[in-house]
Amino acid sequence: MKKLLFLPVLLLLAGCNIRALHPASDTAATLTDLIYLSFGLMMLVFVVVMVLFIYYLRKFREKAYNVHHIPLDTRENKWFEITWTVLPIILLTILAVPTVQATYELTSSSAGNVDEAPQQAVEIQVTGKQFNWRFTYENGKQSMNELVLPVGQKASLRLQSEDVIHSFWVPRLAGKIDVFPGKVTRLSFVPNEKGTYQGKCAEFCGAEHTQMRFDTRVISEGEFQEWLKQE
Amino acid sequence: MNIPFIGEVPSDIVVAWIISILLGGFLFSWVTKAGKWQVIMKYAQTTHHRKIGVMYLLLAVVFFIRGGIDALFIRTQLAVPENDFWVFQSQKYNEVFTTHGTIMIFFVAMPLLIGLMNVALPLQIGANDLAFPYLNAVSFWLFAAGGVIFNMAFFFNAAPNAGWTMYTPLATDTFTTEPNNNYYILGVQVSGLGTIFTAINMIVTIIRLRAPGMKLSRMPLFSWSALITSVLILVAFPVLTIALLLLMFDRLYGTNFFMGEVGDPVYWQHLFWIFGHPEVYIIVLPAFGIFSDIISNFSTKRVYGYTSMVAALALIGLLGFMVWAHHMFTVGLGSMANTFFAITTMLIAVPTGIKVFNWLFTMRKGIVKIRTPMLFALGFIPTFVIGGVTGVMLAVAAADYQYHDSYFVVAHFHYTIIGGTILGSFAGIYYWFPKMTGKMLNEKLGKWHFWLFLIGFHLTFMPQHFAGLNGMPRRVYTYMWEDHIFLLNFVSTIGAFLMGASMLFFIWNIYYTCRFTGGAAADPWNGRTLEWTVGSPAPEHPFEPMPRIDSLDAYWYAKINKKQLPEAEDVRPSPIAVETFQPVLLAGVIGIMSIGFIYGWLWMQIVGAGASLAFFVIRSLTDERKRVYEREEEL
Ligand code: HEM
Ligand SMILES: [Cu+2]
Ligand SMILES: [Cu+2]
Repeated sequence: MKKLLFLPVLLLLAGCNIRALHPASDTAATLTDLIYLSFGLMMLVFVVVMVLFIYYLRKFREKAYNVHHIPLDTRENKWFEITWTVLPIILLTILAVPTVQATYELTSSSAGNVDEAPQQAVEIQVTGKQFNWRFTYENGKQSMNELVLPVGQKASLRLQSEDVIHSFWVPRLAGKIDVFPGKVTRLSFVPNEKGTYQGKCAEFCGAEHTQMRFDTRVISEGEFQEWLKQE
Repeated sequence: MNIPFIGEVPSDIVVAWIISILLGGFLFSWVTKAGKWQVIMKYAQTTHHRKIGVMYLLLAVVFFIRGGIDALFIRTQLAVPENDFWVFQSQKYNEVFTTHGTIMIFFVAMPLLIGLMNVALPLQIGANDLAFPYLNAVSFWLFAAGGVIFNMAFFFNAAPNAGWTMYTPLATDTFTTEPNNNYYILGVQVSGLGTIFTAINMIVTIIRLRAPGMKLSRMPLFSWSALITSVLILVAFPVLTIALLLLMFDRLYGTNFFMGEVGDPVYWQHLFWIFGHPEVYIIVLPAFGIFSDIISNFSTKRVYGYTSMVAALALIGLLGFMVWAHHMFTVGLGSMANTFFAITTMLIAVPTGIKVFNWLFTMRKGIVKIRTPMLFALGFIPTFVIGGVTGVMLAVAAADYQYHDSYFVVAHFHYTIIGGTILGSFAGIYYWFPKMTGKMLNEKLGKWHFWLFLIGFHLTFMPQHFAGLNGMPRRVYTYMWEDHIFLLNFVSTIGAFLMGASMLFFIWNIYYTCRFTGGAAADPWNGRTLEWTVGSPAPEHPFEPMPRIDSLDAYWYAKINKKQLPEAEDVRPSPIAVETFQPVLLAGVIGIMSIGFIYGWLWMQIVGAGASLAFFVIRSLTDERKRVYEREEEL
């Protein structure tokens, strides 16, 4: 009960722009919807449990007059038991359908066939290494700890590590994908808002894992072409 | 790095040595002055389940303090952005969260529950001891040896630093060359052996030594949970044993299981989580059992839905083996694997939900008496439900691409582990304290402990959900102002210190109770199960004569009908206690062998292995039952 009070307060404190809930790409938007859906369904469960909990606790708490009473044993009620078995299954089914959908949609594009590069995408090689990120563009240009992307175009990343496992994470643009030595993983998304977004390594990778951060700059198509030509 | 050094050694280690030596000296002189050496020697030789259980609990509390201090270092370093607290940045921070996690799982959660099982399980089912008392002592001392090995690491400036999950290739000798992570491998391996033996012991005890008439379907739920947990241990821990062995070969003998051309780092993740996910159920099911018994006891009512409670325990145990890859959603196993594991994970919510509603309905139409053990059980329900619902959120594979390895996950598993295992262990300690010591913990101090702990807990971990969603990865030693997670972290740190303060009440309570009070009754809580028929503390041979059981909660129904439990005649012979230093010494030489492996000293490995083997031979040639049988034949 006490805990419930400071939940909204914290939400306010945290500001309403929590990164994972403020998507700036199609992929991240799918994830945000899923987060809200699962949160809503789960809050329903939580509220039901809390209502029963508080109600039973107040109603059946020992009172001065019944300290020495012995309550009768209650028999199990089949219908109650069926209810709390079937209702959760229904709730979970509601959640499972979009889960399966989104998982198929997003996972096949990230872990799927590495060779069939989608057309009209900006292809970028991402190399993780203790403790920095190197980005290599189609024309051979490289940048360190700064990923630059054109807005509104599909970015298609192929990721690989030179040493241990890392994980590529830009909360506002996409979920994580792990980065392995000796194996390529893929991630793609369409950024739909210009801006600079924080990126971080999300898999513990050694002493300075904390410092393995990078920025993702999403700029207009023209600026991007310009940037590619520099140097 | 700007680690303050004193001479060659980082200052935190110097401080730790000084404090440990002072504390050690103080303890030594106190024990000598109080003339307690005899007691300690007695405990070192014991094979009695209650004494071994108490030793498990004591050592677990000691390790809890160590792990808790680690947690406070973590939280202090993270209190404000771009902080530089003492030495805890970079590799030092990595060591602290690695030791925190490992100690909390293997050397706190496990022994707390195994300790409570040792104390209460034989008493609940009418057994005079565990089936193999000698093996039980070996289990305990192996656990103790593992704990000592693991904790030693820090004092020699070699604390493990690859996280409690030891992901390869970071954990192989290519990337972490020093002996640090060898300490993890050997420490966890040795204590894990003890755990496997305990599981065998519990299973045999439950199968063979129940009181006459106590069918499995009349067994209290804590005993049921102990049975199912033991089965899980027996299946899951050998996987850990093998994984650690392979990693040890990679580190010490140049094999390439987890990297290189033929090896693969993902193999490690599979092996680790095939053990690791059942492990989280291993540490939560006994807590469920404790809560079931306590909620029934203090609602003055039979537990609601006994059969479905048992079925749910079994189902959770079974499903627990089919969900391991939900820790690997971002590895890129493919959409097929990810959806499969997403759905099995969601399914676990169903039996868990059944249990929650059964607990609520046990309270319904009862008379709920709020004593300290019940208070912890009541705190558990909302806390664990929050942990459970975030668990379902994490099961949404695609959404987990956002949550994974962020502080959202840290919040989730602390809600389940602290909400389940730790609150459960506290509840169990308050509940069974009279059976261990013959004294009752103070209710007022217990309430302080509970409220401070619970409020501190939610303050610590509720904000971490939001920090995670706001992009804070786990296992980072600092963050920046522009990350906008300062307030969340600051509140979290305040909460952590509240939890620390609550532990002072707990420890003071134990000290105060043991020192200044006495004489608990046999049945202080008006209990329902067999442990309350025997004296407090439980005597060496509690069930003489042996009762006959004819229903669930037989003792309770005998009480309200003002009758005695009938006596049984056809009783199985009790396990035979011995007094022996062999288990301690065996664990000691295995410890020596382990140090040999950690530092690669061949002579030490040989000495330790030879000595261990000698103990096997001695043990194979002794049979303490012979003595007893001969005496029986003479009669
Ligand atoms: C007493 C209060 C506790 C506090 C304040 C606390 C705090 C923390 C924090 C902040 C982390 C994250 C470290 C990081 O990612 O950098 C952490 C990790 C962890 N904690 Fe706790 N914790 C507490 C108790 C426990 C308990 C009781 C358990 C289990 C029985 C536990 C198990 C773990 C585990 C397994 C990890 C993961 C370690 C790793 O990443 O390798 N903690 N804890
Ligand atoms: Cu990293
Ligand atoms: Cu799991």
